[in-house]
Amino acid sequence: MQTERLFDRIDSIQFKGVTKKYGSGFAVKDLDLEIEGGELLILIGPSGSGKTTTLRIMNRMIEQDFGSVTINGIDTREVDPVRLRRNMGYVIQNIGLFPHMTIGENIGLVPKLEGWDKKKTEGRVRELLDFVSLPPDMFMNRYPRQLSGGQQQRVGLARAMAMDPPLFLMDEPFGALDPILRKQLQKEFLKIKNEINRTIVFVTHDIEEALILGDRIAIMDQAKLVQMGPPEELIFNPANDLVADIVDTKRKFKHMDTLNVKDLMSPFEQKYVFEGKMNACDAVEEMANRDIETAFVFDGDELLGQVTMMDLMKCRMKSQNLADVARPVRTFQPLDSVAVALSELKKNGEYLAIVMNSKHPIGILISDEVLLKLI
Amino acid sequence: MVVIETVLDATWEHIILVYTTLFVSIVVSIPLAFASLYSKKLEFVVMKFANMVQAVPSFAVVAIMVPFLGIGFTPAVVAIMLRALLPIIKNTYIGLSNVDPALIDYAEGIGLSQWQINRHIRLPNAYPAMFAGIKFAGILANSIAVLTAFIGSGGLGEIIFQGLIGYNTRTLLAGAIPAIMLAILIDLSFTMLEKKVTPGYMKK
Amino acid sequence: MLTIQDIAGVWDKHLMTMRTIEHLQMFSVALLLSIIIGVTVGVFIYMKPKTANPVLNFLNIVETIPDLALIVLLLPILKLGAGPTIAACVLYSILPIARNTYTGLRGVDEQYTCVARAIGLSRSEALFKVRIPLSLPLIAGGIRIALVFCMGVVTLGGLVAAGGLGTVLQNGIQLYDKEAIIVAGLWTGLLAVLLDGFAGIIEKKLHERYGTW
Repeated sequence: MQTERLFDRIDSIQFKGVTKKYGSGFAVKDLDLEIEGGELLILIGPSGSGKTTTLRIMNRMIEQDFGSVTINGIDTREVDPVRLRRNMGYVIQNIGLFPHMTIGENIGLVPKLEGWDKKKTEGRVRELLDFVSLPPDMFMNRYPRQLSGGQQQRVGLARAMAMDPPLFLMDEPFGALDPILRKQLQKEFLKIKNEINRTIVFVTHDIEEALILGDRIAIMDQAKLVQMGPPEELIFNPANDLVADIVDTKRKFKHMDTLNVKDLMSPFEQKYVFEGKMNACDAVEEMANRDIETAFVFDGDELLGQVTMMDLMKCRMKSQNLADVARPVRTFQPLDSVAVALSELKKNGEYLAIVMNSKHPIGILISDEVLLKLI
Repeated sequence: MVVIETVLDATWEHIILVYTTLFVSIVVSIPLAFASLYSKKLEFVVMKFANMVQAVPSFAVVAIMVPFLGIGFTPAVVAIMLRALLPIIKNTYIGLSNVDPALIDYAEGIGLSQWQINRHIRLPNAYPAMFAGIKFAGILANSIAVLTAFIGSGGLGEIIFQGLIGYNTRTLLAGAIPAIMLAILIDLSFTMLEKKVTPGYMKK
Repeated sequence: MLTIQDIAGVWDKHLMTMRTIEHLQMFSVALLLSIIIGVTVGVFIYMKPKTANPVLNFLNIVETIPDLALIVLLLPILKLGAGPTIAACVLYSILPIARNTYTGLRGVDEQYTCVARAIGLSRSEALFKVRIPLSLPLIAGGIRIALVFCMGVVTLGGLVAAGGLGTVLQNGIQLYDKEAIIVAGLWTGLLAVLLDGFAGIIEKKLHERYGTW
């Protein structure tokens, strides 16, 4: 079966008076919304505010009771749902990689159903795995359960990109990941987003994520759209208390120069600690087990540096151990000034540092997170 | 042509055979299930053996009785029992062991003896599973009891085998239909009994 | 005590090689038919959920019928030979296979069915690519139960001229040939236990491969 392309790019998506009843209440009530082609629109709000419903109405996983959704002027209800969905990429929080298929089969499923031949499908799968920084030869034939959470989420993204859809729907894709990993994937995702230049609708409940990723943010509450606009507008001009509360405007009055590193660091966890004499290949496995992608290398008490899973996968020389490949990592004292620490990080193009209390690591300073805590 | 009286007699024999076996099976199974709670080794042996016997065709079990016990009522009871034990032991054991350990701790804490714990906590918890096992064993016993007529146990199977010799359809049905009705009766009555003994809080 | 020679003698006298082949032939045909029909019924009642309860209840009643009585009921329709035995096997085996297929298909984790819909699989694609593969461990469990049923019923076939190892048991009992009963009884039992064990291994493998519960 070959699905005809519905649209090569998105010019606009329009919600007009969209209503979805849910029991005696409303999941979405009388929603008007316009999504511009090429933007990343964040839908954010408390649980039950209707953000996921809004997302799922777009690919007809939920059918609205009233109103219409048009994409480039085409009413979605006039398109076969299967065809509609094959024109959109979809990523969800629990990823839902099919456990009985290899990574390659998972990504290649829809291309195969679309009648692509084996060679073309495999080529596409390799291209996509490369794109999400997973070496194809290493991952193609593995099963999802052999991958860490971060790796699975990358595969989920690759699967959504398989048919090169003009529109992506993402439902809290990074919601289940640990904070550092989330930051890292967000960074990568931003890069990917700029490269592929597609329209993306992104549901989250994490305001930090929304502020980092969103071109525009739509705040929903109790089945209604409360305010929509670029991040600055929401921060400086919140429509009501709820919006102010969500973007937490009060925090912007905090004075950065009175704060210390320890006020804004994330706690250090034992899972980030790796021994210098560990073999680099073993470390890749172990990091996957611990579900982290950045680790700090120690020799006893002495901090040797940091390694990322991606670095380790690039240099797959069997004989190397972590002490050989660790890159230096900046350290700060708990009472150092945040302002100084941040400017130092920025100057060197780094985004994280370790906070040491004499000889012991007690926290991790992540630049984005610090900035957001300050807003 | 079979006389009604013959059918009634055979049905009565059948019922006696089924319920004797079921009774003996229950008497043997329940202490074994309790004992399995206290000995991992016994549990292992009982479960392994019971599972294996379950896979053996009933006809083979029935036939094997003959060289050792001859023919008649007793070998039939033993043969059926061998097959009927597993569902009862297994289900009772599962019911007994599936009690929230915190509940047992608490019971010990307030000074209940092992016997009292078994009697008042484990046993009521095991009733539904136990009765499901007994019901299954009853149906199995009814089914094998037809077969044991071949080694002289009497019962409805005897009429069937008479019918087979002359290939007399009416005689065949005169044996088969009451056997089927008995099976359905056992199923229904035990389902009702099961509902009765299930404690109120466990009902769906 | 039986010596090897005794066993060999009994084996030859009762044509047990041939009987074993007959036995396994009947068994394979019956099991194959059961799998085809059982899975089909399971998928059907999954697609039409309203039919599930009536169908399963009916099959439950069939399940309580004594096996020999069921074969006898089928005799007038299918005549002497392997027919009634195979038909009885199939009738018994539909329930475990259909029930497990149905439970398996319904029990597939919602995250997978949701994703299947979201990436644009049609209903039948989702069934064949996602639901059925993920239900395989449970379906295999049903087939394993059916296998034990079939072994039992096929052995009974000896009593209604269907051939197989049941014939040897029947002759043994009628002629009061103790050695024949022991050899055939143990061999039949061993065969069943081995096949069941083998099926258990396959089931376990499927659980490792596809099992999500």
